[in-house]
Amino acid sequence: MIILPPKASTMILTKPDKPKRQLRFGAFMNVPSSHPTGWRHPDAIADTDLCFRHLADMARMAEHGRLDAMFFQDSVAIPGSAGLYGGKPFNPRSGRQAHIEPVSAIAGLAAITSHLGLISTCTTSYNEPYNVARRFLTIDHISGGRVGWNLVTSQAEDEAMNFGLDAHLDHALRYERAAEFHDVVVGLWDSWEDDAFLRDKESGVWFDHTKMHFLNHRGKHFTVRGPLNVARSPQGRPVIAQAGSSDVGMELAARTADMVFTAQPTIRDGQAFCAEMRTRAAKYGRGPDHLRIFPGLMPIVGRTEGEAREKYEELRELVDDEVGLRGVARLCGGLNIYDYPPDGPLPPLPPSNAARARQEMIIAMGKRGMTIREIGRVLGMSQAHRVAYGTPQQLADDMQEWLEADACDGFNLLFAHYPKPLEDFCLLVVPELQRRGIFRTEYEGTTLRANLGVPVPPNVFAQEPAHA
Amino acid sequence: MRRRQLHLGGFFSTPGNHLAGWRHPNAVPTADMDFRLYAHITQMVERAKFDTIFFQDTAAVNGSRAMARGDMTRTRISRIVKLEPTTLLCALAAVTSHIGLIATATTTYNEPYNVARRFMSIDHISGGRAGWNLVTSQIEDEAQNFGYAEHVDHAKRYARAAEFYDVVVGLWDSWEDDALLRDKAAGIYMDRDKVHFLDHEGEHFKVRGPLNVTRSAQGWPVVAQAGSSEAGRELAAKTADVVFTAQTLMDEARAFYADVKGRAARYGRSAEDIVIMPGITPVLGATMAEARERYEELQALLPDDLALQSMSHISGGLDLSKFPLDGPLPELPPSNAAKARQALVVKTAREQNMTLRQIARHTAAAMGHRVLVGTAEYIADELVRWLKADAADGFNVICNHYPKPLEDFCQLVVPELQRRGVFRTEYEGTTLREHLGLRVPKNRYTARQRQAAD
Repeated sequence: MIILPPKASTMILTKPDKPKRQLRFGAFMNVPSSHPTGWRHPDAIADTDLCFRHLADMARMAEHGRLDAMFFQDSVAIPGSAGLYGGKPFNPRSGRQAHIEPVSAIAGLAAITSHLGLISTCTTSYNEPYNVARRFLTIDHISGGRVGWNLVTSQAEDEAMNFGLDAHLDHALRYERAAEFHDVVVGLWDSWEDDAFLRDKESGVWFDHTKMHFLNHRGKHFTVRGPLNVARSPQGRPVIAQAGSSDVGMELAARTADMVFTAQPTIRDGQAFCAEMRTRAAKYGRGPDHLRIFPGLMPIVGRTEGEAREKYEELRELVDDEVGLRGVARLCGGLNIYDYPPDGPLPPLPPSNAARARQEMIIAMGKRGMTIREIGRVLGMSQAHRVAYGTPQQLADDMQEWLEADACDGFNLLFAHYPKPLEDFCLLVVPELQRRGIFRTEYEGTTLRANLGVPVPPNVFAQEPAHA
Repeated sequence: MRRRQLHLGGFFSTPGNHLAGWRHPNAVPTADMDFRLYAHITQMVERAKFDTIFFQDTAAVNGSRAMARGDMTRTRISRIVKLEPTTLLCALAAVTSHIGLIATATTTYNEPYNVARRFMSIDHISGGRAGWNLVTSQIEDEAQNFGYAEHVDHAKRYARAAEFYDVVVGLWDSWEDDALLRDKAAGIYMDRDKVHFLDHEGEHFKVRGPLNVTRSAQGWPVVAQAGSSEAGRELAAKTADVVFTAQTLMDEARAFYADVKGRAARYGRSAEDIVIMPGITPVLGATMAEARERYEELQALLPDDLALQSMSHISGGLDLSKFPLDGPLPELPPSNAAKARQALVVKTAREQNMTLRQIARHTAAAMGHRVLVGTAEYIADELVRWLKADAADGFNVICNHYPKPLEDFCQLVVPELQRRGVFRTEYEGTTLREHLGLRVPKNRYTARQRQAAD
């Protein structure tokens, strides 16, 4: 089940001599609200989608709360536009329609923050790797090494038709393209060694050509010569994040990702996912410090348990059945869920070409006896991520339990609306975690890699220094 | 009556537009990658009330095609790496409040939906100060970063660019200005009837829309263009709000100005709908003699063979190093790249009877733009002379290195222009269209409905 039942706060004892593992947090930005109709909440600022000033205020708040990063979702279309184009009715209540392009948004935020990581989604399906490599590496320079790229494949039919295609690419082909795209981008990021630029006024020599590298990539999807026209990153290379939880998605993440975002409904699921990811990563010679795992969590904080429950119920009241059912419909692999009674059970589903792991999750909910409408309400509130409500102590207990059970490295925090729930987390929950010694009181460094504790990769082209 | 005003753009060609400018003792040579310096110079020209800043772009390391073939003689060329300009503009938008923010993005190696989205996003971040310099990729270096062996032919590139433009501005109108209701009580986020599918199907693109960004405070971002060839002028006349150009002789500049504005009339546009801004490179001194000394100081930093390399992108593939430096500029084969720039350089060399060495050093100093060497009074007079002669509506100020020559221009030349009553002392508004005196484009769907209702 997705909802955390409140329980009494307990102190968990740990050995004093061992430094405690630390939680890490991303603030998931799905403006104007992660809850699709959360923008209607009285506390919600409804124009966080197009007003940069609000994004700037929230970035400053996240930095004040010492969160690792802000993480922006994206799609290159209005969600639901393919259906609308095909004559289907449109839900005017859904808030996610227009937003500032997030790679542009994080570039702007880089200029007004100093420590916060800035991660944006950018699709490998409808871009050129040279352009993507350039833009993220540029923001990495602007921010002094705080950028992350959430590598995705485009899974929405809505997007294909903005790029000359009638249907989106097949799941396997998309991932094949994504894997090659990744290799090109990362290769381009190493075009220049760290000391390639001499800028020697006396001799007039600008760069050392032996420290410039042509990628000369020739693959199935891309032919890219290089070099990139941006110097190497202040953090070695931008952080790579991924969210695919399908088999092929997990494999790509195991090989390439520094951070993984995932939806895990229970602590046991989280443990299994972490174990699975680490086993897969080990095959590529990568240890637990190479890959940070962030299940999604929608925290609803109250000063008292009663207040938290009230907030939770208020948000459930706001869930729009139509939005909820559409969330279910999207995961039904072509089966028309509207042909089934919403208060009846979930029928067996054909495999989906889109988000496979999500589909497995709703099948599991169906098996637990939830009706289509109930599943829709849960999806409708948090996009199938876990929701937890309670006092700061209760939420801290929950997260600490996940951390100590090795079910996560941290959480990607979803907010029902903006900015109040983000403020509540930073001002109420963070101090409780700090008091317990499981969350930083100061940033470890100035780069995202330093704060995540993931290694700086060596330049793949650089010669090993000769040993004396 | 208020005197006609000129417009100023800061064309940031970091770390310096002069090929050896970065070697000057005052130059900050890390100006290519250091965001703090970009922020510093942008805030400086904002204090001086410039209309806009402008970044050129190439999606490749300059000279990389030659280097890939083993020619490693280019290690003295400085414009090798830089911050990608559309991304950079977002960051500069966050630390400024009035200055216009224009960057180049190529129509050759991008998708129109992505470009439409990105510039409209910059327009939102900046509150209506963005501009898109629409170009076709003319540099051979770029093609091989995007899966092509050779770059696309000049005519085809322009056909694609024209269609690309239509798709982008069509997507910019996706949302009527009152489409977003955000009505919490009624639960209505948007008015479905005010959001429109573009449904474009053309030779190069098939794009459904709508764009997932609304129109901005200035309606659309400003569209700039720099093509001075026949095809480039025609596209500019039809579509551009701002035209950047390299003009060294006033008569030529007047002819260009009249030609582009004349062509615009054929598309139902008035002369005021296009702002023409030639580039100028100032070399300032307290006296004319001191200014000339400063110019010589810069030229002394420039070896002849490096100067010759600056000609490579306009030589039409001819290896100029095989020709005597003190002989004339040889006949150049036609260029598939910068046609108009090649013509300008050839004309300058022929008219002024320059040797290959002289034209190469002249080109390397300002990449074909006009160099103004003199006192602040002299430079201000020259700018006003061109303005009054209808040779320009304003100027793009290009600097030999950063930040000193730009500081000097802001502190010395701008007050001279203000004293002459031809340059603002305060911004007229907060959007780039307001600064440039350009109209806010009407939303095509709103206009159509109004027409139908009348």
